[in-house]
This record gives sequence, structure tokens and C-alpha cells, in this order.
Amino acid sequence: MKLFTGNKLAVTAKIIFVSISLALLGLLAQSAFASGEGLIAGFIALSMLALALVYFTKISIPMKFFLPGILFLIAFVVLPILYTLVMSGFQFKTGNYVDKPQALERIVADSYVPDDSGLTFDVIVGETAQGEPALLATDYMAGEYFLSTEDSLTPLDESQVTIDPDLGIAVETDGFTRLDPDTLAAQGEALAQLKFAGPGEYFLALEGFEVAIPLKPGLVYDEATDSFTQAQTGAKYVDNGRGNYANIEDPEDKLSPGWRSPIWLENYVSLVTDPKVREPFIGVFIWTMVFSILTVITQFSLGLLVALALDKPLRGRRFYRIIIILPYAVPSIMSILIWGGMFDTEFGAINALLGTKIAWFLDPNFARAAVIIVNLWLGFPYFYLISNGALQAIPAELSEAARIDGASNRQIFWQITLPLLLRILTPLLIASFAFNFNNFNLIFLLTGGGPRNDLDGEIAGATDILISYTYKIAFGSQVQDLGLASAISVVIFILVAAISLYGIRRSKVLEEFI
Amino acid sequence: MKWLRENLWRHGVAIFAVLFAAFPLYLVVVTSFASSGSLQLTSFIPNEISFVNYEKLFNDPTIPFMTWMWNSLIVAGSVAILSVIIGAASAFAFSRLKFKGKKLGLQTLLLIQMFPAILAIAAVYLIMEGIGNFAPEFGLGTQSGLILVYLGGAMGVNIWLLKGFVDSIPIEIDEAAKIDGASEMQTYWQIFIPLASPVLAVVTLLSFIGTFNEYILARLFLVDMDIRTVAVGLQQFVAGQYSENWGAFAAGSIIASVPIVLIFLSLQRYIVSGLAGGAVKG
Repeated sequence: MKLFTGNKLAVTAKIIFVSISLALLGLLAQSAFASGEGLIAGFIALSMLALALVYFTKISIPMKFFLPGILFLIAFVVLPILYTLVMSGFQFKTGNYVDKPQALERIVADSYVPDDSGLTFDVIVGETAQGEPALLATDYMAGEYFLSTEDSLTPLDESQVTIDPDLGIAVETDGFTRLDPDTLAAQGEALAQLKFAGPGEYFLALEGFEVAIPLKPGLVYDEATDSFTQAQTGAKYVDNGRGNYANIEDPEDKLSPGWRSPIWLENYVSLVTDPKVREPFIGVFIWTMVFSILTVITQFSLGLLVALALDKPLRGRRFYRIIIILPYAVPSIMSILIWGGMFDTEFGAINALLGTKIAWFLDPNFARAAVIIVNLWLGFPYFYLISNGALQAIPAELSEAARIDGASNRQIFWQITLPLLLRILTPLLIASFAFNFNNFNLIFLLTGGGPRNDLDGEIAGATDILISYTYKIAFGSQVQDLGLASAISVVIFILVAAISLYGIRRSKVLEEFI
Repeated sequence: MKWLRENLWRHGVAIFAVLFAAFPLYLVVVTSFASSGSLQLTSFIPNEISFVNYEKLFNDPTIPFMTWMWNSLIVAGSVAILSVIIGAASAFAFSRLKFKGKKLGLQTLLLIQMFPAILAIAAVYLIMEGIGNFAPEFGLGTQSGLILVYLGGAMGVNIWLLKGFVDSIPIEIDEAAKIDGASEMQTYWQIFIPLASPVLAVVTLLSFIGTFNEYILARLFLVDMDIRTVAVGLQQFVAGQYSENWGAFAAGSIIASVPIVLIFLSLQRYIVSGLAGGAVKG
């Protein structure tokens, strides 16, 4: 009798399935490569190799089970983490976002300045026979004419051009077609960006459609020394090694934009040494700890109290239980937003209930209290559930024995039940601490981290925890500093990992599990 | 008298907890049936029952609520199913197969999960932007792209729950199968999967709820009105200072939450034992 059937069929199905996947991935890799996404193309190609090796050979049986998960894990979790790790060593913020070649290009482009003489040219906008945009320019004062494209300047004789008798400017020449007004209007914005070749070191830029002004670069780049010289003042700007060209005389005088450049541990060091970074960081860190600890204590206390109250057959226990679990079952995004509405100063239910007019989210302490209350609501049902389970796991003989020895209910709770519970639940308490340490949704949706002092340009608000603070640093509306944010993420990671590993060690959960 | 002493405090605590737990939920229900769209979280006793907000959700063409619900169903459903497929295979291998680096692998997985994922968003964003350059149907602003990103966590998230369950299946069954000539793959498909199917169903639903609840990535990815999930869509009702629309928000929250709450309550027992993990064993 054959117990394990369908081997041939399964193998055929597998070969077909894997082959189709490989073919699709191959197509993707090809188009990724074609559109210049070399890294992604490389990753897909490696994935294909791994898939083929694992599923068509017997190289590793466990890999047959792991590979799909591992590929997703690497692509969307591990690589982003590594990227964050690398970025934490970079100067990577507003003003230093692009790479160096792009920054160079932008510095030159931004440095063009009009000539002091106020010279202008009268121009006709058109295109050459090849369809390139071109200007037919007249230097009215000097009585000279030339045809200018982006690449070249062709001086023209009076005999080569047709001059408008009224305006006295050149309007026609061979191989030049004037653009009609509609086209001009349609292409106006693009044309205004162009730099046409001008006499000498000048470029011509359009001012409207009839006049061009000569511009010259205010900064001259010298490739040999990798430095800029300011044309007017002669000031020299060199690569300061931190992603900017800075004035040799005055390091604070930098050219903009800079580029992202490695500064190694500086982001980390600034957490400790730079008061502008350190003080908000320490403030936020303290509140994060207070918030997480208070959250765990309040949630656990109320949850345990309820569990103790319901630890006995009681009329209505099923009803109590279902209602109490509800906050845990409702999608938390919705309930956080509703609580946000309930804390509203004018129309909120909380003020109506208390008969007060407290501006909950404008005062730091009230805002912090609100955060704790909402989190208590969100979390106490969870602790009720697990305390309930843990209470049942404690043998009844223990408390009975204590009672025979004359212990009161109170003594039994404080000296037997609670210590035992704490021992059982420590890993979960620590897990809850670690979760709340990074409870981004609560802060982000309830208070947005506020209140904060906008006038001082502070980023950190009174209820900001590390993760929401870091999010603001990285993706904030004003200044974004991905380098510093990445460094703080790494610090958070180390803290949470250390706390959790400590918890796991203590509870020996992992050993039991592995 | 004795009854009072024994039970009064119990009922007192329970009633307090019930009021605390139910208060916001009650207000949501009241608000959803009020006719004005503004903040109604002060009226404790409903003075009218109106279905204006519900009608708005279904009939107002500027609020594609049903589309959002459908999107959430598609995204959370796909992620739940695919991630359980990935998670179950990994859990089986970690629990049953012998290989080098098993402990290291599990520890690495645990460690990776502790990285504050929100901060890796910048990198995820760049990757998806890159993918969008050559495969726009998987890039930024697409649900399929979002699903791919969610699957990055598939291996880690469910593995503890699943592994705990696989460990509880007696190893003798595997050994018997092996003697009968089954390969690892056959053991997996023909023994483990049928045995685990109830647990896999529970984990699928948990994963569904988790994804349904996800907000940050979804908000970052799904910009267009028509592809948003319900969490992102509803949040926009009450996000802007001048566009507060609590009535519709409340009605939408109720419709979106009821299925989740029902799933949750029916799975309570499993969820609780899953929550407690190994801790309550002792």
C-alpha cells in the first residue's frame, strides 16, 4: 500500500510553478536592468539563482521551506535596515540630499548672475533647421547680430539677416524659423529654463519672449583642485569633507546645496555633545521611559484588578467579560481617533463629563495624562485576559495552605499570588514595555507629539516618544535630517533589543522554545 | 451581608471597567446616528436616530467608502493568506528539520523584528520608487506594492505562534511517516498541513486583523482616493482641522469594526492562548 501519494504529480506541479516564477522574475530583472535599476536587477537575478538552486537541486531541504520568506525578509526588512545603518553615518539632511555630481551641477546652475552693465539683447525665439531652440539676437547698441543655440553662437552679418524696419532688430535669417505665438506660449516655461550660448563667458537667458539677458557663472569650478572660486570676490570654496564646499577663510560660509557625505559617527556623537540635539533627545527619552513604564503599570494594575474581581463565578460575568474585551477588539486606529475627538476642548465628551474646559492637548501635563488614559483604555483588556489566564495557572492549593496557616486574603495576595503572577508574566510585561516604547500610532494619531513650542522651532513636543520624534526628524515638514534620524533609530533598536533580550533571558522563553 | 462583603467590590470593579471600556464605543454609536456631521461626542443621550451618516457613506460619490472596505479586504486578505503560507513553512522547518544555524536563525529573526520598522520606511520608499520605475504595477501608490512590503514581515510575525503549535504535535507522527517513506515535503503537505489547518485559520485571521489595522505604510503608499484602505480613508475625515466629519467617521468605523470585533470575539480563546505564548504554561 502506498501511503504517500502524488509524488510525481507534485514534482511536475513544482517544476511548472518554479519555472513560471523564474520566467516572470527574469522578465522583471530584464526591465529593471533596462531602466537603470541595476541594484534591484541584481537582487532579482540572485533570487532567481537561489530559487533554481533550492528547488531544482537537493542542495538544502530546510531552504525549500525558508526561501520565499527569506527573500521577502531581505528585500523589505533587512536591506532597509542596512540602509538605515549606513545612512546613520552620513550627513544626509535638507540641503545635503543629492549626490555630489548633482550638487555640483546645481551649484553652478544657481550661481549665474546678470552682468552689472545691465546689457540686454532683443531676441526672436525660434528654432534651427534641426529643430533645436534658438535665439536670433540683436545687440542694438553695438549693431551686432547673432544666432544662439544651447551649444553654439554664430555671429551674423547685417547682410545675413532681415531687419525689421520699425524695430531695428533682426527678425529672420537662413535656417531659422520663428516660433508662432501659440507654440511660444505652450513652451514658455521650458524655454525660460534654457541657457543659450552668449558672447564670451556669458550665457543668455530669456526674460519674457523678446528680451534676453547675459548671465555669467558667479562661481567657477576648477576640476583639478575640486574647488570653486567666486568670480567677483575671488573667495575660494573647497570640499570640507562633510558634504559642502566651504569658504577657506570662513568654514561657516558654505555653498548650497551640499551632498550626502560620510561623517561616520558624528550623528551619534552629536546626540551626546551637541546641546541642540542632546537636550530634546534626553527630554524625549525620559518621557519615553516614563510613558512606557506608566503604561505598563497602569494597564497591568487595572487588568489584574478586573481579573481578580472576575476570578469567581459571578452573576453577569460573561457580560462583563465581553464588554471589557471590546476595546482590545476594536481596530485601534479608530478608537485612538475617537479618543482624540473626546478630548476636544469645546465639544469633547471628557470636558462635558467633568464640567471643565480643559485644553487637553495644549498643556503638556494634560496632554501626557490624556495619552496615558487612552493607552490604559487600549491596553487593560489585554492584561485582564492574560492575568485571568495566569491566575488560573496558579495552583489553588497554595492559597489554601496559606489560609490554613492563618494568612488573610490581603496577605495571600501580596505575598503569594502577586509574586507568582509577576514571575509568570514578566516576559509579557517586558514585551509590552518594548511595544509601547515604540507605540508610534498612539502618539502620532492622538496628539501628533504635541503640544510643542513652534516659535522656538522645536521639533520635539511634550508627548513625543523617541519613535515619533525620530519620524519628525526624518520626514518633518521643515527640516529633514535622515542621517540623525537613522542614528536615533539605531539607538532605539539597541535599547529595545537589550531590554527584550534581558527579558527573554530572565524568563528563559527562548531556550524552552528552541 | 456576607454576600455583600464578598461580591460587592467585585461588581464595583467590574462595573467601573465596563463603563470605562464602553464609554467611547457608546459615544461612537450615538454619534453615528446623529444627523449633524460635526463633533457629537458630548450628547450622552441620543435625541434622534438618523441614518444620514450611513447614507452618506454609501451614496456620497466623494466618499468611496465601499471601495475602501473592498481595498482593505483585498490587501489584508492577500497578506494574511500569503504570509501564513510563508510563516507555516518556516515554522515547520524551524520546529522539525535538523540543520546547522537553527538557533542563530531564530535569534536573528527575533532581533530583526526589534528594529523600529517605521524608520526603515525611508529605505522602503526608495526601493519601491525604484521598482516603480520599471514595473509601475508594483511601485509606489499601488496595493500590490504595499502587499509585497507587508510580506517582508511575514516570516517573523507569525512564526512564534505557529512554531509553538508545531512543537505541540508529537514528533512520533513524523517519524512514523518517515518510516513509511515520506519525504520532508510530503510530511509537510500531507501530515502537518491537515493537522495544523485550524491553527492556520486562526493565524490567518489574526494576520488579517493586524494588516487591516496598519496605518503608516498604507498612508504613505496609497495616495489616490480610490485605492486607499479603510483605515487611511477614514482617518482623513477627522484629520484636517476644517474638514472634521465625525458623523461619517463614526458610521464608517462601526461598519469597519464590526466584522473585526466579531472575528475577534469568536477566536478569543485561541487569541488569548496565543497572546500568553509560553508564559502561562508554567
